[in-house]
Amino acid sequence: MLEKIKNNFNTQTWVLIPIAIAINIAIGQLVLVLKLPVFLDSIGTVLVAVLCGPWAGALTGALSNTIWGIAIDPSAFPWWPVAAMIGYMAGRMAQWGFFKSWWKVVVTGFVVAITAAIVSTPIAVYLFGGITASGSSFITAYLLQTGQGIWSAVVSTSFLTEPVDKITTAMLAFAIVQGLPRRTIGGYPKPEQVEVEGGEGEGGANNTQMYIAIGVVVLLVLFAAFMLRNILGG
Amino acid sequence: MHERLSFYIKRNSVIHHLNPLTKLTLVLALILIAFTSPWYWTPHLLVLIAIIPLSFLGKVAPEFFKTALRLILPAAGFLFLMQAFFQPVGETVIFKFYFLDMTQESLMFAFRNATRVIVMVSAFTFLLLTTHPSELMSDLTRRGLPGQFAYVIISTLQILPQMQAKAQTIISAQRSRGLDTESSFIRRMGSLTPLIGPLVFGSLAEVEERAIAIEARGFTSKKVKTSLHEIPDPSSDKLIRWVLIILVIISIALKLWLS
Amino acid sequence: MAFINLQNVTYKYPLTKTPVLQNINLQINEGEFVAVIGPNGAGKSTLCYTLAGFVPHFFKGEISGTVEVAGMESSKSTLDEWVLNVGLAFQNPFNQISGAKYTVFEEIAFGLENTGVPRDEMKTRVEEALKLTDISNLADRSPYSLSGGQQQRVALTSILVMQPKLLVLDEPTSQMDPIGTREVFGVIRKMAEDGMTVVMVEHKVEWIANFADRVIALKDGQILLEGKPSEVLTSDVLAENGFGISRYTSTAREAKKQGLWKKENLPVTLDEAVEGFSNW
Repeated sequence: MLEKIKNNFNTQTWVLIPIAIAINIAIGQLVLVLKLPVFLDSIGTVLVAVLCGPWAGALTGALSNTIWGIAIDPSAFPWWPVAAMIGYMAGRMAQWGFFKSWWKVVVTGFVVAITAAIVSTPIAVYLFGGITASGSSFITAYLLQTGQGIWSAVVSTSFLTEPVDKITTAMLAFAIVQGLPRRTIGGYPKPEQVEVEGGEGEGGANNTQMYIAIGVVVLLVLFAAFMLRNILGG
Repeated sequence: MHERLSFYIKRNSVIHHLNPLTKLTLVLALILIAFTSPWYWTPHLLVLIAIIPLSFLGKVAPEFFKTALRLILPAAGFLFLMQAFFQPVGETVIFKFYFLDMTQESLMFAFRNATRVIVMVSAFTFLLLTTHPSELMSDLTRRGLPGQFAYVIISTLQILPQMQAKAQTIISAQRSRGLDTESSFIRRMGSLTPLIGPLVFGSLAEVEERAIAIEARGFTSKKVKTSLHEIPDPSSDKLIRWVLIILVIISIALKLWLS
Repeated sequence: MAFINLQNVTYKYPLTKTPVLQNINLQINEGEFVAVIGPNGAGKSTLCYTLAGFVPHFFKGEISGTVEVAGMESSKSTLDEWVLNVGLAFQNPFNQISGAKYTVFEEIAFGLENTGVPRDEMKTRVEEALKLTDISNLADRSPYSLSGGQQQRVALTSILVMQPKLLVLDEPTSQMDPIGTREVFGVIRKMAEDGMTVVMVEHKVEWIANFADRVIALKDGQILLEGKPSEVLTSDVLAENGFGISRYTSTAREAKKQGLWKKENLPVTLDEAVEGFSNW
């Protein structure tokens, strides 16, 4: 066990983690500026998870939210277990070979989203009585007013908002990893996890994947917008 | 722009001279008591009788209130309003707004949750104002925290402002080329990729060299590490820590006993 | 036995096909100041990494032949032991800032903390090192707030303070002005005279001519020429193989064709050129 945790961490892991945390926070804030309906605050966490392993991913997630909470936005702090679980799950999925082609990455994103939804529910319920300071709580509040129980209202909200965000995150992380020079990847603990299936992943193939990734992202965002309008309008 | 992400204010006060671990214990104790205490008025009492007086004692009160107003109150205030209106508990309706009811119970619930968040954040603000991050980290390292953790925390605090500055530059550059933050979802989503690319690849390309540089300076050395700064830990500090731990235990015990 | 001894060293990075170093044989004595020159892609940085133990311990990849430095043999030792004896500083100063420290003083102490030097000794050594490279005035500044040249000095000092037996430098003065470069070369020269062995990759051939004991010219992963600076740097072979050479050498070479340079040897530095042309 201890050995399995240790093999996630070499010097490049330790250097990557602060950069990944900064990526989480900087992109998270960028997304706020662009007023996008996603968070995208765990791209760095997923990067560490797939390149170094689940434990390194979990540590990155936990530290991200701690530092975000302490230094920038206090309401991020209590969610560190969710961020840690996102990192852990992304790392596990990569270990199982689900970070080697774009459709597998979508599956990874979905699994991570479900995990995040499950872990965040008790925190939202016990700590905040279901209503947090996040914008998506309007949905929870609406569901509560329609007579739903608190647990089902919180879980439904998470299931509505998480998949879009986490699939987009996983796709962007995949695009980033595929854009890195292969020699750079070689120095991390788990380079084999991100080797694209089918041999030559050079040049043209990378671009195609990137376009597909962006296309899926756009579709998912449209889907979310549609769902939200249905719920809020109905 | 390359300001480091540190709240620390160098002053000469009793609080500044406390051992960093004592201050960390204090913060964690305050948070644990706020979250475990069975009474809804405990958290705000902690702010009034502990955290605010401590910030005066630490001679950081002006900075403390400035940070509190800027950072803590908006978040806590928003949480309070959300909960007061949307929390469907209680019967005694005080205020009605369309289909939303504010009840006496939801008001108390909201008050407790918002003040808990205030305790959590203001306690940390107090710690960060009076404790230099590297002092805290070297003390924790001396007590057995792996040196790599200290590296990650301090390094993040130094990299983050640079990264935020870069993100800001990129946004401005894109804006001047006609990026519209008010346009449709899809257009904004599409504009994200060219924003993220330069931000991420530049810093990821540095990882290998930075790893070599710190390894060349013994980062992974198996020798017992020493520390440049000596951080005193008198027995009075140890006493304070024990008292705090006992207070937390009492709070948890009360909670279990009363429920 | 030589202090540095490379025998038939051939090395390939992981996932690559062509070796970056091919059949390198190299002996360097203790206290020697050796400069390494060569065009881009010649394998200069890889040679530095090999001497500093990062090839193969950090980069992995395939290595053959023997690498011995300061009594350690690469295949039988770890990077941990290696960094206690060999210091490495390279070109980009920004990437050499640890990021774990808030002031230059702490930054320079970083390596000593990691290798367990007692506090009192640490303080004295950092203060001495700051004086040596003339950056005592920067001690309380944040390493990130410095200019490129100042950061390079900090990077060099951070390594010097660890008192390595071998100092490996990969273009350590690339962002310094001529005055800074002169000072730093002076410091390194003095370290060599005090017994430290120095291997330095450098483009500035005039400085090499003034300060180094020996020059190694690398091309395509092989040693092309090796010898005294005055001989190697003026050799026709360098000019033919696309090496950067001193403008005084090329001017004098042209002059020699016209019969205007009478001396046997070509000059590398301005002083030599002036002396050669005025004695004519």
